[in-house]
Amino acid sequence: MEKNDKDPDDHHDDHNDKSSGEEKGDVVSDAHPPDDAHQDGISKDNVDESDQDPGDNVDKVDSPSGQEAPEIHQTLESLSEELDQLLSSLSLHQEEQHKDSNTKEKQEEEDDYFQIPQFVGKFLDLFEDKLTKHDSGEPKTTTWYQDPEEVSSLLDAVDRVSNLMKLLLNTKSCLDHHEPLINHAGSIQQRAMAFLEDEFRILLEESVIIKEPSVVADDQQDHHSDAVVVSQDQDQMVAPECGDQEIEYPGYSEEMVTLLKNIAEKMKGGGYLWECREVYLVARRNILMRTLKQDCEFEKVSVEEVLKMSWGELEREIPIWNKTFKNCSSLFFPGELKLAEKIFPGGDDEGSLFCIVTHGLAIQFLGFYEAVAMTKRSTEKLFKILDIYETLRDSFPAMEKNEVTSARSRLGETAINIFLDLENSIKSDSSKTPVPGGAVHPLTRYTMNYLKYSCEYKDTLEQVFKSHSTMEREEEEEKEEENSPFANQLMRIMDLLDGNMEAKSKLYKDIPLSCIFMMNNGRYIVQKIKGSAEIHEVMGDTWCRRRSSELRNYHKNYQRETWGKLLGFLGHEGLMHNGKIVKPNLKERFKSFNATFDEIHKTQTTWVVNDEQLQSELRVSITAVMIPAYRAFMARFGQYLDPGRQTEKYVKYQPEDIEDLIDELFEGNTSSSSAATAKRRT
Amino acid sequence: MRPAQDNQGSFLGRISIRRNQFTDVNTEQEQEDLELFQKHIADRFTELLSPPPPPQPPSDETNTAASVPATEQIMSVTWLRKLMDVFLCCEAEFKAILLMGRDPTQISKPPFDRLVPEMLDRSIKALDICTAVVNGIDSVRHYQRLAEIAVAALEQRPLGDGNVRRAKRALSNLLIALSIEDKENVSGGGRGGGSSAASKGGATIGQLKSSSWAVGRNWSAAKQIHAMTANLAPPRGNEAAGLPLPMFIMSTVTVFVMWVLTAAVPCQERAGLANHLPVPKHLNWAQSLVGIHEKIGDEWKKKEKKGSAGLMEEMTRMEKLGHSLVEFADGFHYPAEKEAAESAAAQVAEMAEICRRMEEELVPLQQQIREVFHRIVRSRAEILEVLEQAGKLSAPVV
Repeated sequence: MEKNDKDPDDHHDDHNDKSSGEEKGDVVSDAHPPDDAHQDGISKDNVDESDQDPGDNVDKVDSPSGQEAPEIHQTLESLSEELDQLLSSLSLHQEEQHKDSNTKEKQEEEDDYFQIPQFVGKFLDLFEDKLTKHDSGEPKTTTWYQDPEEVSSLLDAVDRVSNLMKLLLNTKSCLDHHEPLINHAGSIQQRAMAFLEDEFRILLEESVIIKEPSVVADDQQDHHSDAVVVSQDQDQMVAPECGDQEIEYPGYSEEMVTLLKNIAEKMKGGGYLWECREVYLVARRNILMRTLKQDCEFEKVSVEEVLKMSWGELEREIPIWNKTFKNCSSLFFPGELKLAEKIFPGGDDEGSLFCIVTHGLAIQFLGFYEAVAMTKRSTEKLFKILDIYETLRDSFPAMEKNEVTSARSRLGETAINIFLDLENSIKSDSSKTPVPGGAVHPLTRYTMNYLKYSCEYKDTLEQVFKSHSTMEREEEEEKEEENSPFANQLMRIMDLLDGNMEAKSKLYKDIPLSCIFMMNNGRYIVQKIKGSAEIHEVMGDTWCRRRSSELRNYHKNYQRETWGKLLGFLGHEGLMHNGKIVKPNLKERFKSFNATFDEIHKTQTTWVVNDEQLQSELRVSITAVMIPAYRAFMARFGQYLDPGRQTEKYVKYQPEDIEDLIDELFEGNTSSSSAATAKRRT
Repeated sequence: MRPAQDNQGSFLGRISIRRNQFTDVNTEQEQEDLELFQKHIADRFTELLSPPPPPQPPSDETNTAASVPATEQIMSVTWLRKLMDVFLCCEAEFKAILLMGRDPTQISKPPFDRLVPEMLDRSIKALDICTAVVNGIDSVRHYQRLAEIAVAALEQRPLGDGNVRRAKRALSNLLIALSIEDKENVSGGGRGGGSSAASKGGATIGQLKSSSWAVGRNWSAAKQIHAMTANLAPPRGNEAAGLPLPMFIMSTVTVFVMWVLTAAVPCQERAGLANHLPVPKHLNWAQSLVGIHEKIGDEWKKKEKKGSAGLMEEMTRMEKLGHSLVEFADGFHYPAEKEAAESAAAQVAEMAEICRRMEEELVPLQQQIREVFHRIVRSRAEILEVLEQAGKLSAPVV
C-alpha cells in the first residue's frame, strides 16, 4: 500500500511545490483523483512483491533515486539517464510479458505489476518547467533553437516522454495501476507537442534566408552563371556566419532543415505527425504563393479575364506565366519536393505532401493555359501557344498527369487549327490587284516568314501533329506515309500558296511578267527554305529540286516570250534576195528591233526582281542569247548601211549598249524608261 | 476515359453526316428528342430531390433517425457527386441535340446569333466557378484532416487531459478555419501574418489563406452566378417549341449546378448568393430542380446570417459536432465522467464517419468537377467549330 501510494503522492507534492500556472493546477487535481483507491486495492498484493523481489534491474534503478537521496539536486539531465534505464527495463518487462502470455495466462495477472519510481514524476515536472520557460511568450534574447544544447535537451526530453507514454499505454499493468500518471504524462506530452507545433510553424515561416537572385531571370543561362558568381562571393564574405554555400529555394539553412526534421521526427514519435504535416502543408502553401507573388509578380486571372484580354495584353501575360511556371518546375516544385523528403524522410507520403502543397497552383496554371487555348484563334498566337506547349511538356513535374495531358492536347489542337486557318486564309485570299512589277506577293512573304518562324518549333510541331491530329486528317495523310504529318501540312500550305500565286499570275496580261512574278515568288520561297536549316529539313531536298526545276521552266518561258520575238528580228530570212541585200527590209528590221527592244527595256526596267542572284541570272541569260545574235547580225548586215547618217539612224545600239541596257532591267524603276534610254545616248 | 472523349468530336461528326441524309425526318425527330430531353432532365432531378429507397438495405445496424440515409441527403458529398454525374449526362445529351445532324447555318441565324454567344459566355463563367470550387474542396480537405486529428485524439483510451486538449486544439483550428473562410469571403481581403500572435492561444495551425488561392483579384462567385442569369429567360412564342428551349434548359441546369457548388464549399465572395435564381416554376422539367433550389436556398439564408464556410452536409455536421466536442473538452475533467464520455464517444464516431466519407469522396468529387471543366471547354470548342463552318458556308463564294 505505502509503496504504491507513493508514486502519485510524491508526484502530487512536487507539483504543489512548483505549480505556477493554471494548467498545473489542472494536472494536479487530475493526477490525484479521489477514486484511485481502487487501484491501490488491486495492486496492494503486488507492492511488496515488487519491492522485495525486484526481478531485473528495476531495483537498481529504483533504489538510488527513490529512496536514498530524495533531496539531491535533480536536473532533467541527471534524471534522463535514470529514465532511460527505466524505459529499457520496462520494455524488457513488456517483452517478457508477451512471451509469457502464451503459456501462463493466469499468472500474468499477478506478475505484471510494474513499479513506477517517483523520479518519473520529477522528470515530468522538470520538463514542464522547461516548457513553461520556453512558451511563456515573453520576449527573450535568444530562442531555444539557437542553443544547440537546449535543442537536444528539449527534443530528447520530448522523446523520453513519448517513449514513456508508449510503454505506459502498452503495458497492461500500467494501464491498470498508473492511469493518473499516464494522464499527467500525456498532458505534458500534449503541451510539448503543441509547443513544437507552434515552433515548427514559426520556423517554417520565419527562418527563410532570403537570397538575392532567387528567381530565374528571363535568360536562364545568364542567371545560372550569375548565381554561381554570387554564391562564390558569399562564400568568401558571408560564409563564416551561415556556413552554407548555396542555399537554394526554399531557403532554409542546413541546420534549420535538420532542426525541422528533428522536430517532425519527435512529433511523429509521439503520434503527432498529423499536426506536423498539417502545419507544414499550410505554411508551405502560403509561402509558395507569397514567393510567386513577390518574385514572379504572379497574379491569378480568371478564364473570363483571359478571354477578354486583347492579344497585346495576353502576349505580355503569357511570358510571365511561362516564367513563373518554369521557375516552379525548375526551382520551386523540386525545392518543395526535396524539402518534404528532407523533413519527412522515409515516409511514403512526401509525394502526397508535395502534391497537396502544389495542387492548387497546378490547377491555376493549367486553367490559364486552357484559357489561352480557348481565346479566338489567330495565326499570330501560334508561337506563344507553342511556347506554352513546350513549357507544359518539358517542365511539368510528374503530377496531375491527366490534367496536363488534357491541357496539352487542347493547346496542340489549337496549334493544328491555326495551321488550318492559315490554309484557309491562303485559299480565300483573292485580292485582285496584281503586285506592280511582278514582285514577290505579300502573301508569299507573310506565309514564308510565318512558316520559317514556326519551323523554329519544328520538333514540337512534329510532335504536335503526330499526337493531336484528328482522325480524318490522319486518314487523309495515309497515302503520304513517307512524310511526317507536319511536313505534309507544310507541303499542303506550299501547294496552296503555289496555286494561289498561279491564279494571281493570271492577273498580269503580260505573259513574261506573269513568268517573272512566278519566278520571284518561287525564288523567294526556295531561298527562304534554303536559308533555314529547320524548314529545309522538313521540306527536304527533293522538294527543293523539284521547285527549282519549275522555276527554270518559268525562266525559259519568259525568255521565249520576251526575247524570242526580238531574236526573230535578227534572223536572216527575207533580208537577201538572190544573193543581194534587200535594204528596205533591212532598215525595217533595224527599226523594228530598236523599237521592240526599247519597248522591252521601257517596260521591263519597271519590273521588279529583288533577288540579286535571280536578277543577275536573268540578265546573264538574256545577254547570252541576245548579244552574240546581235553581234552576228551587225557583223553580217551592218556593212550594208551607209556609214554616217544612215547607220546612225538605223543602228541605234552597239552590242555593248544592248548589254548595258539589259543590265538595267528588273530594277523596278518607276520613272520613265525612255529617260534612261535618253541618258544612255548622251 | 480521356481518349474516348477525345474521339467524340469526330464520332459525332460522322453521325451527323448520316443524319443529314434524312432531312425530312428531322423536324419530327427533333420534337421527339426535345421531349425526351425534358423528360430526362425532370427524371434526373427528381431522383436527386428524393432518391429512391435503396433496393435492399444490406444490414439494419445503420440508419439512425432519418429515413433517407445520410449519404443520400441533399448537399452530402455523395449527393454532390451524383449532381455532377447528372450535369455531365444532361450536357452530353444537350450537345447531341444542339449539334448532331444539324445544318451548321441553322445555329448561326437569329435568334441563335444571340442565344449561342450568351450560352457560351455562361459556360466561361462556369469554368471559373469550377476552379474556385476545386480550390474550395482543397480547403474542405484541410478541415477533414483537422477533424481526423480530433477524432484520433478522442478515440484514445484512457482518455486523458492531453488527448482532450489535443482534440480541442485541432477542433478550434477547424472552427476558426470554417469561420475565417466565410469572413474572408465576405470581406475579400487578404490577411497578413498575425499567426504568431495567436499561436500561443492554443489554437492555430495557421490557416490556409483562401483568398490567395482564389480565381483572380476581385473575382466574385456570387457576381458570376448573377451574371450568368442576367439574360437567361425562357423562350417565348414559336421559339419555345424549338432549339431555344433545350438551350434555356441547359443554361438553367448549368447555373443551378454552379450555384449549388458555390453554396456547398468555401468559395470566393459569395455575398448575395441567396438571390433569386430565375427558374421557372411552372415548367415540368424544372419542378424538382426548383424544389432542390428552395431547400438549399432556405438553408443558405439561415447560414448566411451567421456565416458558413459551406452547406455541404458533412461540413455542416462537422461544424456542429466540432462545437459540441469543444464544449465537451472545455468541461472535461480527468477522469472522464462516464455519461459525458459516452455521448462524446458517439459524436466522435459520427465525426469519424464523416471524415471517412470525405476521405472517400472529396477527391473523386474534385476530379468530377475538373471533368465538368474539361467537358465545358470541349463543348464550347465544338460549338465554335460548327459556327465557324456555318460562317464558311454562308460566306459568299469567291
